[in-house]
Amino acid sequence: MKLRRSMLFVPGSNAGALSTAFIYKPDTIMFDLEDAVAPSEKDSARLMVFQALRHPAYAEFETVVRINELDTDFGMKDLEAAIRGGAHIVRLPKTENADQIRELEGHAARIEKACGRPVGDTKIMAAIESASGVVNSVSIATASPRMVAIAIAGFDYLVDMHAKRSNGSQPELFYARAAILNAARAARICAYDVVYGNVDDDEGFLREVAIAKGLGFDGKSLIHPKQVDLLHRAYAPTPDEVDHAKRVLAAAESAHRKGLGVVSLDGKMVDPPVIDEAQMVLARAEAA
Amino acid sequence: MKVIREAIAGTLESSDLLVKVAPSDKGVRDIVIRSEVIKQFGKQIKRVVAETLDNLSVSEGAVEIDDKGALDCVIRARVQAAVLRASDTQELNWEKLK
Amino acid sequence: MENSTFEFRTVYPSDSSPEMEEVRNLLSDNQLELETRVEVFVVCEAEGRIIACAGLDHNTIKCVAVADEWRGVSLSLQLGTEVIKLAAQRGQFHLFLYSRPHNLPFFRGWGFYPLVQVPQLVVLMDNSPTALRQYCAKLRSQHQQGKTIGGVVLNANPFTRGHQYLVEKAAGECEWLHVFVVKEEASLFSYADRFALVQEGVAPIGNLTLHPGSDYIISRATFPGYFLKEQATIDHGWAGIDLLLFREYIAPALGITHRFVGAEPFDPVTNQYNRDMKTWLEQSSSPAPPIAVVEVPRVTASGAPISATEVRRLLAQGDYSRIEQLVPATTMQFLETKYPLGMSISK
Repeated sequence: MKLRRSMLFVPGSNAGALSTAFIYKPDTIMFDLEDAVAPSEKDSARLMVFQALRHPAYAEFETVVRINELDTDFGMKDLEAAIRGGAHIVRLPKTENADQIRELEGHAARIEKACGRPVGDTKIMAAIESASGVVNSVSIATASPRMVAIAIAGFDYLVDMHAKRSNGSQPELFYARAAILNAARAARICAYDVVYGNVDDDEGFLREVAIAKGLGFDGKSLIHPKQVDLLHRAYAPTPDEVDHAKRVLAAAESAHRKGLGVVSLDGKMVDPPVIDEAQMVLARAEAA
Repeated sequence: MKVIREAIAGTLESSDLLVKVAPSDKGVRDIVIRSEVIKQFGKQIKRVVAETLDNLSVSEGAVEIDDKGALDCVIRARVQAAVLRASDTQELNWEKLK
Repeated sequence: MENSTFEFRTVYPSDSSPEMEEVRNLLSDNQLELETRVEVFVVCEAEGRIIACAGLDHNTIKCVAVADEWRGVSLSLQLGTEVIKLAAQRGQFHLFLYSRPHNLPFFRGWGFYPLVQVPQLVVLMDNSPTALRQYCAKLRSQHQQGKTIGGVVLNANPFTRGHQYLVEKAAGECEWLHVFVVKEEASLFSYADRFALVQEGVAPIGNLTLHPGSDYIISRATFPGYFLKEQATIDHGWAGIDLLLFREYIAPALGITHRFVGAEPFDPVTNQYNRDMKTWLEQSSSPAPPIAVVEVPRVTASGAPISATEVRRLLAQGDYSRIEQLVPATTMQFLETKYPLGMSISK
C-alpha cells in the first residue's frame, strides 16, 4: 500500500533544497516549477528538476512535478521535463474542470510515446484552487485512469471565496475539504489537505493536521522539511489501533483459510473496507 | 550547439554553482573551475562539466564555474541552462540533455 | 523553503522613492555614501523594511550594505546572486567591485577575486579568475626586448600635436614604446575615432606598438574618478588602484620600465593623477619593480600649452584656423570632415 501522508514541496530553482529534501524522508516529494519559481528562472529550474528526478537519491521516492498551467509559456516544457525525467506524477495547478485533465492526458501520452515510457505510466494529481474546481471535483477526480490524487490549495480558493483563513476549526475551508475528500473517495484516489504556511508555528500546524486527519485526508502538502516528521507522528496510529488492526487482519486471514466469506470481530463485521483500513493503520505504524 | 552570447545560470548559494558562458575568441573550449571542494572533487566536477558540454555539442566557448559544493545533477542542470541561454536554440532536444 | 522570507526588488536612484530614502539610511548606517553613478539597486526586504542593498554602476558593483542584525552567509550570497543576475540582464558579465580590505572574504563568496590593493584602504576585485591573466598573456605576445621600454596611456580626445610630441619624445628615449588608448566611451569623441586618430598620428614612428584599451587601464571600473572631473578632489586611493594594476600586471607583461606622461597645466584631475603616478609607480612598496615616471613638458602654440580641452573649446566655436595650430594634419582632416560647421558641445 502506498502511503501518501506527506508531500514535501521543493522549489525547483533551489539547489540546496533539491540536494537535501530526500534526507527528511517524506512519502512523496513534489518538485515545484510553478509558484516557487520566478519567471526568469523557469528554464533553469526545469533542468534542475529534470536532473534531480534521475538522481539515485530520489529513486526510492514517489516524485511529483508541479508544472505551470498548460496555456502558459512554460507548462508544456515543464511537462516534457517531468515525463522525460521519470516523475511518477504530474501535478496540474488551478484545475477547473475535467477537460483540462483530458488535455493533459493527451499530451502526456504523446510525450510518453516519444521518450519510450509506457503510455499511461505518468499519473496525474489535480490541484483544486477555486470555487468552480470544488464544484467539479467529482468529474475531475474521475476524468482519467491516470488520476491518483487531488489536492486542495487553500490560498487561491479562499481568495475566490472572499474568505480569510482562520485558526481553530476553520469553517471557511470545511465545504471544500469535505467536497474534495468525498470526490476522492468516490473515485478511489487520494486526497491532500492544504499547506500550512507559518513554519514557525508547530502548534497551529498540528491543529490543522488533526482536522485533516479527522476528516479522512490521506495526507497534507508541506512547505518545510521539519513538518514531515511532525506530520508522520501525528498520523501514527496508537498502540490500541495497531493492536486492533492486527486482530482484524488475523481474523480475516483465518476466515479466508477456512473458506468463510464473512467474519466478525468483537461482534462487528470485518468487510473489505475494514480490512483496507487495518492495512493502512499497519502501514502508517510501520512508517512512523 | 553554438555559444553566441554571454550568459549565466545558477546562484552563489551553498549546494549550487554559478556558471558563466561566453563565446570564445580563440575557437577553443576553455573550462575554468573554482570550487570550495576542488581538492576532493575538482576532477569529478571537471568531468561532469565536460560531459555535459559534449552532450550539447559545445566545442567552443569560455566556461567559468564558481562551485559551492553542488551535486552532479545540479552541475549538469546549471551548465545546460547557461549554454541554452547563451545559444539561440529555441527548441530543446531532450535527447541531448543527458 | 527556508529562504522564502527574503524578497528582492530593484530600486532606481532616479526615482526619489521612499525606498531610496531607506537605502540611503542603510548605507549611512554602514558608513557608506550613495554614489552618484549608481544606476540601479537590488534591495532585499524582510519584515517590511529594506535590510540589504547592492548598487550597480555599469559594470561595477558599489554601495553594498547589509543591516547588522541580518548579517549571515545565506542572505549575503542571495544578494550577490541577485546583483550579478541584474547585471547580466543589463548586458554586463565581467564585473568589478571595490571592497574595504576587511570585507574581502565576504566578496570572495560572491566569486570575486582580488586584483590589487591599496593597503588599509581599498581592494579592487573582478569576477573572472582568468580575464586579467588572459589579457596579460595577450600583451606578453607583443613583448619587445630592451633595457628601456616605455608606456604611454592616452585618452586623445582628440589627438593633438601635444600627444604627438609626447609619443615622439617617449619613443626617442626608449628602445620600444607601448601606447594604450583609453577605451571608455565617456569622452566627446568615440573610442573608435580617438583610436583611429592616434593610429594615424603615430604611424611614422617605427619602434612603437599601439594597443587597444581595456577594462584594466583607466576605465570607469579601475578609475571612476578620472571620468568625474567635476569632482574637485580625487581620492588618492582610486588612482592608486589603476596605477598598481599597471605596475603589477600590465608593465611586467610588456617589460615596461618607464611611464611617460604629459605635464598637465590645466586639468586638476590629470595633474593630480600625474603626481599620484610618482607615488604608486616609483615609491610605494609593491611586489612589482618600480617604474620610472617621466613627465614631458607641454608643447606650446603661440605661447600657450596645447591641450585637447582647448581643441574642443575651439571646435565649439568653429574656430578652425586656431585648431589647425594645435592638431596634426590627420586630426585636422578628421575634424573638418566630421564637423564641417564646427559643433556645439552640449556635454
